[in-house]
Amino acid sequence: MGTGLAGGFVSGFRHPLSGSDHLLAMVSVGLWGAFLGRPLIYALPVIFPAMMVGGAVLGMFGVPMPPVEIGIALSVLVLGGCIALSLKAPVWAASLIVATFAVFHGYAHGMELPSAADPIGFSAGFVLATGLLHVLGICIGFLNGRRGGVVATRSVGGIIGGMGVWYLYRVIGR
Amino acid sequence: MSVALGLALAFAPRRVWPLSLVTFAVTATTFTIAPVPQGWLNCAFLGCWISVAASAAIVHLPDGLHPRAAFALSLNDGFWSGAVIALAGSRPDLLKALPCVLVLFPATLIIGLRARIAVKVVSSWLIAIAVLAATLQFLPVTPGYLPDHVN
Repeated sequence: MGTGLAGGFVSGFRHPLSGSDHLLAMVSVGLWGAFLGRPLIYALPVIFPAMMVGGAVLGMFGVPMPPVEIGIALSVLVLGGCIALSLKAPVWAASLIVATFAVFHGYAHGMELPSAADPIGFSAGFVLATGLLHVLGICIGFLNGRRGGVVATRSVGGIIGGMGVWYLYRVIGR
Repeated sequence: MSVALGLALAFAPRRVWPLSLVTFAVTATTFTIAPVPQGWLNCAFLGCWISVAASAAIVHLPDGLHPRAAFALSLNDGFWSGAVIALAGSRPDLLKALPCVLVLFPATLIIGLRARIAVKVVSSWLIAIAVLAATLQFLPVTPGYLPDHVN
């Protein structure tokens, strides 16, 4: 399953980790899911990778999209904000928000799919890394059950949202 | 494929496991050594990825996996695994692939801990990977091969 050479499973696994915007957004999905509870704590880590694949397909085929970097920056901002505000969105709204942003992230991965030794391994790597980042977010969200945990996780959300503002500023300011 | 089958079998009655595992192994081995026409390469890969997605999706069935369905799934998965290895791999690849079905046991343990949702979430990731991999076949060239501004 991939050679580990440039463009294999290992490269794909590293891809979401190599960009702080990707990383923060994916952790935020899991963290927000932890705030929202059942069923979204399980549904969001399913919806995001699934829609991300859809976005990746669009990216691979070069389908025109709105500026992807703005979408990714917005995802960090919005998801961080939802956590900071402890926003309890209904299932359909949370799913729609996450699904929309997932398309942008997937598009970026698909556009960057390398002329690889193993594009399938690369794809498997970034899907798996994405899922594990969601799980990390959920694990952080379990702090909510501890004393002072909610304040801590909402603060983390605030920091993430602030990073989203920074990313958006960088993208728009170019 | 082996992983997807293992996860699906975790939702089947235990009594079907031996037959399913043997069926999968025998079928995969048979088609690894059978003379599969080389022209079937793309079809074999597509069938393989579709089967991975279908096998992974089975974990979401409310009543689990029926014994006959488990047998049929093992036959199907063994066929496509064997065909792909015969056309694009080497026989030792079979020895690497078959043991992956043993993910069945940790999956069963997780289900026993009343955390079956974790298995379902992982299965959904497998489906996503399978869909993406199947789509890659229709891509004329990966974006990395496209000429950039230098070229």
